[in-house]
Amino acid sequence: MAGLSFDLIALQLFAGLALGAIYVLFAIGLSLIFGMLTVVNFAHGAFYMVGAYVGLYLISIGGNFWICLVAVPILIGLFGLAVERVLIRPLYGRGIDYPLLLTFGLSYVMVECVRIAFGKTGYPFDTPEVLQGAVNIGVGYFPLYRLFVIGATAVVLLALWLFLEKTSFGLIIRAGARDPQIVRVLGVDVSRVWLIVFGIGTAIAGFAGLLAAPLQGVIPEMGGTILAEAFVVTVVGGMGSIGGAVLAGLLVGVVVSMTSLFAPEMAKVSIFALMAIVLIVRPQGFFGRAGLMS
Amino acid sequence: MSAAEGQSKEIILRTRGVGKTFGKFVALNNISAEFSRGAITSIIGPNGAGKSTYFNLLCGAFPPTKGSVEFEGKDVTGLPQHRFAHMGIAKSFQITSVFPQLTTRENIRVGLQALVSRYDIWRPRARLTELVERADELLALVGLWESRERAAKTLAHGEQRALEIGMALASQPRLLLLDEPTAGMSPEETRTMMDLIVKLAKERTVILVEHKMKLVLGISDRILVLHHGELLAEGTPQEVRQNEAVKRVYLGQREH
Amino acid sequence: MTDATESIKEPRTATVSWYEFATRHRASIVAAVILVFPLVMPFTALAVNILIYGLYALGFNLVFGYLGLLSFGHAALFGTGAYLCGIAIVHFGWPWYAAIAAGVAGGLLMALLIGVLAIRTRGIYFAMVTMALSQCVYYLFYQAVDLTGGENGLRGINVRTIDLFGLRIDFINPMIRYYVIAAFVIAAFFVMSRILASPFGAVIEAVRENETRARASGYDVTKTRLLTFVLSGGFCGLAGALQALHLSIVPIEILHYETSGLVVMIALLGGMGTFFGPMIGAAVFLVLENVVSVWTVHWQLIVGAIFIACVLFFPAGIWGTLIARSRR
Repeated sequence: MAGLSFDLIALQLFAGLALGAIYVLFAIGLSLIFGMLTVVNFAHGAFYMVGAYVGLYLISIGGNFWICLVAVPILIGLFGLAVERVLIRPLYGRGIDYPLLLTFGLSYVMVECVRIAFGKTGYPFDTPEVLQGAVNIGVGYFPLYRLFVIGATAVVLLALWLFLEKTSFGLIIRAGARDPQIVRVLGVDVSRVWLIVFGIGTAIAGFAGLLAAPLQGVIPEMGGTILAEAFVVTVVGGMGSIGGAVLAGLLVGVVVSMTSLFAPEMAKVSIFALMAIVLIVRPQGFFGRAGLMS
Repeated sequence: MSAAEGQSKEIILRTRGVGKTFGKFVALNNISAEFSRGAITSIIGPNGAGKSTYFNLLCGAFPPTKGSVEFEGKDVTGLPQHRFAHMGIAKSFQITSVFPQLTTRENIRVGLQALVSRYDIWRPRARLTELVERADELLALVGLWESRERAAKTLAHGEQRALEIGMALASQPRLLLLDEPTAGMSPEETRTMMDLIVKLAKERTVILVEHKMKLVLGISDRILVLHHGELLAEGTPQEVRQNEAVKRVYLGQREH
Repeated sequence: MTDATESIKEPRTATVSWYEFATRHRASIVAAVILVFPLVMPFTALAVNILIYGLYALGFNLVFGYLGLLSFGHAALFGTGAYLCGIAIVHFGWPWYAAIAAGVAGGLLMALLIGVLAIRTRGIYFAMVTMALSQCVYYLFYQAVDLTGGENGLRGINVRTIDLFGLRIDFINPMIRYYVIAAFVIAAFFVMSRILASPFGAVIEAVRENETRARASGYDVTKTRLLTFVLSGGFCGLAGALQALHLSIVPIEILHYETSGLVVMIALLGGMGTFFGPMIGAAVFLVLENVVSVWTVHWQLIVGAIFIACVLFFPAGIWGTLIARSRR
């Protein structure tokens, strides 16, 4: 077992954190939307996938990765706003299953539209030149781009934290996630808050898709797989909890990464085993409140 | 004085030092009380006194954080809700709670069926004719015979409350717990409901949670007064009416 | 007050009588339709598909429509039924009827496993947890190449003839194959009708209507949900087993989450919580797919759009909307 040195395990841990960072971004959007709108966005994977494809397109018409980092979340966020306004809003008050079913149908439409525009086969997505190569992080050489993914996620989280904690709009969102009644009592236009939260959630999904693209390339089906895995993150972290999504996202990333080191064939199954354990021991997840879903 | 009465009558339900906290909020603190078999006991108190919390502990909707609940001499603290129903404790809800899309008769029939058949997936339920007959009797008792084939959601508010009581009676309870049974009712509906409660109490023990003290003074054998999650006073309606502490916090206010 | 109720009831009884008739003889009606069905369908293969997916949707609808829980993991029940039936034939040489029994048992068992975990959560969690767990089942079957054939699917489920009480029936003949499968599907519909009419059938609907009230009435809501989910697994397992016999192979895609989504679409399209809805949904969905596929390869776009329209404008589905119209 000479291969399994401390350094190798430490490197694998970092690789897990980079993978986890994508899960975190994906899951906080999902959690934000659920916590506020009680909508499980089954199209979240499709927004993620479209984010990657929009990046691909922008680069093909002469843009670069840095422009994409700004433009993709804005474009996907705007698209999210339109979806909430036109498709999801008519369903409020009609039962919790309907928005879920609608976004599920929407994901089919989005995936097929991308297939029509870009074809069924996937594309590689080049890592931007300055982020190619590896750097020594003390325990060995680690791909620079993965380090960048971790850093970019941290920046997004920090920005989101500042937004939620320091702005009056963020205060409304936090209050609303706790108890939608409060927001209504305060006289805030709830539908506008919901609209914007959906926009923010989908913008982050698009951003996550773009970040993931250089790691795994882009294919129309890339959103489906991560959606199931993000559900695991949400269940483990606790539905509607952003802190839970961050912790559980990183944990799931590390678990996948570690099992692929020790038992590669069990890597995919391991995260579901993790979810099963959490369901048995603590069904509401790390940070979920018991009885929230009743 | 209450001790002497407690000895003379059989105790059906007893709480020993029960308390309930939600996070840091203390909803109920250290309530010890006894309920006599066959009596109507009312739990009253102003809004936020902890009446509903106490009620929910008595019917097993959630367990107390402290203390214990005893039914017919057995410790039932923390048992799941459906076990309470099997033991003979039934409740009506403060907010009307029926099966909205089922017919009135089916609502009661389902309530009855819980005692007879819960997991039979094969025998046709139409063959459980005795349940339908009993359902029809109960429908007549609570005055809903005319509306038996209507979906419960189409009933008027007062009728839905009556239906709820019919469903509670379906499990043939020895103890019937009613949470503000007249909430939101017209004066006429209220009178009908009070008459029904008196009628029901002839055959079983009734515990009643009520916001309006005037309503229960006439029909109760015994009254508990809660205030700020504590037991403020207990006794016969006469004693409670004359209790200085009760007068201060309760009767001094205008009744709504 | 009596006047008021009478006036509401009078016009209803007249128009609703056909519906009451249909409810009373629901399983027989399904049987009759299934028996004459191939005479009006151009392709028997499509007719068989409708039968199998109708049965799959029937099992799903027990959980979605009657119990009121949205499951996004039914592919695991359908797929396990198919794989166990196939494995019994390919690896163990079991006769066809034992293989079907293995498929049903597989569906029941998988439903028990997933149910025990997923029922611990409530409400909207259920959809997420069932989807995640069925994804896990997908990976497990994908990895077990020796048994399942992994990515290539399980091949070689060749049942050419079926022995029945000394009779040797040719299973290759499409028409005969249709009626053999139809026999199982019709039997399943009778069993489902029986379950829905049983005391437990009433409990299922009571739990859907009002969980808190059901609990106060003395029903164990968790156990009721689990048992219903397991029963649903039996129906889906049977559908899967028939699918394996019909296709002669079990593709790994049968466990994919799109197979879970498919049955949600079929049930909603036909009318959730109705007896005929699943079969109608399967027929409309599959015929539409066949027609649309003739002129475009982008069937997914159409199906997604139809589904969105259904959710927005016809949440009661085809059969549910018909019932609602007739009652008005």
